[in-house]
Amino acid sequence: MKGLRQTFAHDTWVMPYLRKYKGLLILVLFLGFMTFFSGGALMFNSGYLISEAARRPSSIIYIYVPVVLARAFGIARPSFRYVERLTSHNWVLKIVSDFRKKLYQSVEKKASAIQRSHQTGDILSILVDDIEHIENLYLRTVFPMVIGWLLYVFIVIAIGAMNWVVGILLLLLLGVIIILMPLISVTTNGVREYRQHQIQHTFYTNLTDEVLGLGDWLISGRYDDFMALQKKPIEQIAKLRRHDHYYQWWRSFFVQVMVLLSVLVLLVWSAYSFTATKSLANWVAAFALAIFPAVSPFLNISQGASEWPVYRRSIERVNQLDAGGDGHPVKQTSLSEPFKDLSIKQLSFQYPDGDRKVVDHISMTIHPGEKVALLGPSGTGKSTLLKLMVGDLTPDDGSVEINGQNILSLQDVRSSLFGILDQQPYLFDTTVMNNVRLGNTNASDDAVKDAIAAVGLKDLIESLPAQYNTEVQEAGQRFSGGERQRLSLARILLQDAPIIILDEPTVSLDPITEKKLLDKVFELLHDKTIIWVTHHLAGIAHVDQVRFLEHGNFDMQGTPQELYKQEARFRQLYDLDRGK
Amino acid sequence: MIDKRLFALPGMRRYVIILGVLVFFQAVAIIVQARYLSIAIVGLWNLQSFKAIVGPTIIFMIAFLCRHLLTVWQNRVFFPYVEKTSGQIREKLMAKIFRLGPAEIEKRGTGNIVTMALEGIDKVQTYLMLVIIKVLDMSITPWLVLLYILFLRWEQAIFLFIIFPVIILFMIILGYAAQAKADRQYEGYQRLSNHFVDTLRGLSTLKQLGLSKRYADNVYEVSESYRKETMSTLKIALTSTFALDFFTTLSIAVVAVFLGFDLLDGKVTLLPALTILVLAPEYFMPIRNFANDYHATLNGKNALTAVLDVLNEPEMKQRDELPSFKWDNQSQLVLSHVSLTYPESKQPALKNISINIQGMKKIGIIGASGSGKSTLVNLIGGFLSPDQPDQVAINGQKLPHLNQEAWQQNFLYIPQNPYLFHATLAQNIAFYVDHATSESIRNAAERAGLTKWIKSLPAGLETMIGEGARSVSGGQAQRIALARAFLDTDRKILLFDEPTAHLDIETEAALKKDILPVFDNHLVFFATHRLHWIGEMDYVLVMDHGRLVEQGTPQELANQNGDYVKLRSEMEASDL
Repeated sequence: MKGLRQTFAHDTWVMPYLRKYKGLLILVLFLGFMTFFSGGALMFNSGYLISEAARRPSSIIYIYVPVVLARAFGIARPSFRYVERLTSHNWVLKIVSDFRKKLYQSVEKKASAIQRSHQTGDILSILVDDIEHIENLYLRTVFPMVIGWLLYVFIVIAIGAMNWVVGILLLLLLGVIIILMPLISVTTNGVREYRQHQIQHTFYTNLTDEVLGLGDWLISGRYDDFMALQKKPIEQIAKLRRHDHYYQWWRSFFVQVMVLLSVLVLLVWSAYSFTATKSLANWVAAFALAIFPAVSPFLNISQGASEWPVYRRSIERVNQLDAGGDGHPVKQTSLSEPFKDLSIKQLSFQYPDGDRKVVDHISMTIHPGEKVALLGPSGTGKSTLLKLMVGDLTPDDGSVEINGQNILSLQDVRSSLFGILDQQPYLFDTTVMNNVRLGNTNASDDAVKDAIAAVGLKDLIESLPAQYNTEVQEAGQRFSGGERQRLSLARILLQDAPIIILDEPTVSLDPITEKKLLDKVFELLHDKTIIWVTHHLAGIAHVDQVRFLEHGNFDMQGTPQELYKQEARFRQLYDLDRGK
Repeated sequence: MIDKRLFALPGMRRYVIILGVLVFFQAVAIIVQARYLSIAIVGLWNLQSFKAIVGPTIIFMIAFLCRHLLTVWQNRVFFPYVEKTSGQIREKLMAKIFRLGPAEIEKRGTGNIVTMALEGIDKVQTYLMLVIIKVLDMSITPWLVLLYILFLRWEQAIFLFIIFPVIILFMIILGYAAQAKADRQYEGYQRLSNHFVDTLRGLSTLKQLGLSKRYADNVYEVSESYRKETMSTLKIALTSTFALDFFTTLSIAVVAVFLGFDLLDGKVTLLPALTILVLAPEYFMPIRNFANDYHATLNGKNALTAVLDVLNEPEMKQRDELPSFKWDNQSQLVLSHVSLTYPESKQPALKNISINIQGMKKIGIIGASGSGKSTLVNLIGGFLSPDQPDQVAINGQKLPHLNQEAWQQNFLYIPQNPYLFHATLAQNIAFYVDHATSESIRNAAERAGLTKWIKSLPAGLETMIGEGARSVSGGQAQRIALARAFLDTDRKILLFDEPTAHLDIETEAALKKDILPVFDNHLVFFATHRLHWIGEMDYVLVMDHGRLVEQGTPQELANQNGDYVKLRSEMEASDL
């Protein structure tokens, strides 16, 4: 119970939506109740019908009402069920739309424009799964449980009104099924689920590890070790699952015993209360037959409840997304005149969990049209510097200013200032035309085609059957790495921002493709300001200024020509890169 | 309805018979239960006291308990078999993964394979557990119940008998109508789900373009239009369930009404009528259960198909043609006119490759991307098989392919991103060597230039690395692979596949110093497009569009002024 309160203490994913779509929710519950009510009523009515008929009353009039009711309930039950299923699906799908938007917005808030890879895909799939889990929470746990409780209250009150002792007995017996058993299931299963989740996680990690390292396993010839590694977690999971199954089977059996006891209570009650007159005795069959369909929704409530730990993890995870908040929002402005300079003033930054200053009092000024290359070993803070420059990170000290205005106050107009080409520019699963047009959503078809022609892809695209309407497929698979970079470059051309950031755009390309791409980039963007982070020295002749970042500072700087003449280290690296 | 493949599982037939017997007894218990409940009720209806019905009530209770105990029993009997069988399938799958090797697995996607071995097998287990018992239930219980009703009153039995195929027929007709739409809807769902993940993955790009805020509404709209589409299909898709529900419920109502009229006319007495009414829902119960679990069984069926697909995948056989040997100065590897075509493509990836290599040499493999460098390395490593057998030979022995255990015992493979296992640094270094002493591991790490880094780690060589533990930079990963080579002095062949392509130039320069010593007294294959490595090679293979266009010493190739010279000039940067 405490855990339950904890889970929902700061919940913004479950409760608000229960409130938002209250009307539909009540309808779903009502329809669900009516489905089972009709099911019970059908048997109740039928039991009465044949008992009354067996008395062989003088006229058909005596059984006329039950005859009509039998047909009515017979049709009502499936109809209610049909409408209930439609309504509940509609309800859940409405929530899904809201969820998706909400999840998108939460992730969007934290996303950075500077990103080295799309590995986050895994985390994203987990979140997408979480949303599905919450859908199931409604469909498999919340709805059946609430409908079950409504029915429970109805049965207990209806019978309690006739005989309070029987009412209390049923309250207890059925209460065991729909309150006590689910609670026990949550506790026992919660622990087991938690263990199982942990083992499964280990198993998953181990197995992924094995499959990814398969080449090494194969060459090492360690077949037996390979197979043995999986044995333990598999056995552990099998054991847990076996216990889980046994528990479920016996639980179902126990639930049936409770049902049996309820039937017995009804029989005994009938024997003492309904055997006074013949017309009263006709109700015996009604009650005895109705009990089975009436309790049928109770049978699976425990199962739904025992899935709660899975849902709980999901709810907690998505709720964590919202935590953290925005920090201090900075008042946003825009630039009144064209880009004059970008100056970095005494900039310092250290990650909260880091042990050193990644950027340590760095200063530099970049003027329009300048081309700067940033180098340094990996992990030295080049991409951190870029994140600070565009305002995705807030510096501990110092500032980044454009025309004297702090970049943090220019976030709303950022895309009119910076164009970014990174390692793996993302192409969305739509057409070439749509992808390139993302650079400027107001661009005409001709403008898009011009941009594609400028990056040298006109012939390729026009040779495809669907031409500019060719689907790029998932993550742009339709095209090679170099082609993807060119399409993104076209996007940047349309975006037409004064400052272009190149974040190792050629890292996964071969030297020939790399050289061609760089030539193209610097040719097309000759009038732009370019800040280029690169991992080696190919194409370095394109820039005016080279800066080496190491230990949070620039430790070598100058034009490439100067550095080549003066710095032995630079010369050695450059020659190495040229293959000497 | 029932999957024939299930009967091919060893021991299945025996269990089907045992379960069939249990289901039969359960059906008998159901009939006894209904009969004695009816007797008890009729007793009360005749205004008898409770004492009079104690007997039938007890029999009813016993039958009721037996029925549900039999359910537990069926599960208990069958589960160990299902557990064992699915465990065996999982084991077979793992063994198959090992034999298929990395190239095949990569094609299917690591994620897919892992999911299949975990959740896929779980689904198969659920499937086995569900489908056999449900199908037996459906093919025994209703008919036994019907037989009993026939014995009580044939008119109702005939009605129930006729309605059964009608239900099935309607389900099939409506099911077919809905199926096409439902399939399309499932595709729509996939598309939507992909669209959503796609959008999330491309978030940083959207942010770069200043579109990320606006896209939130797009996400919502796409989802809403999907909802509307889904609802319109669901209206049809759910009719199949509705038909089942409608006919079964209405049949019970109809039976009740007709029994009422017959009772009125005195054609039947209360006891058989009541028994029939109690049994009518039981008659429909198995088919309803089956329909309820339909989706779970469908998932399991698909999972089983996917697993069997992998298990039936052709694999390279004859892995032990080559006797155990050690590569030395006299050893010889010959490829003669080897071609290699990937199964799904028409164009061969390697065409007519012939090389002859003897003893310890340093062989560079260069070419533009897509020229076949990696494919050649994979062929030499035995991960891919040539189109024709007997085109490769080691020490004069012709072989079907190089996926020979004895050959693989002789080399180390160092790709662009050497895989680091989730284990300690020491275990990673000693992956290829059993019982390596910590002294020798330390020594190998030292030679690979790892000592300084290891000192900075909290637990030194015992630090956990790999997925989910301390992350390791690309340069250090290469050094760990290098340490493996230093440690394992038995393996005399080193296969490098673009080991430094993604490293920054400073890291590469430092790494090169430590790599060069390991080349000594080894046969080295080094595929790269970083030209400075060529200076260290004895012999160079120049690849272009799957062909081996030139081979020779760097000096010979430079003098020939052919493809090698052309390739170099294309790759090289200008003077500063």
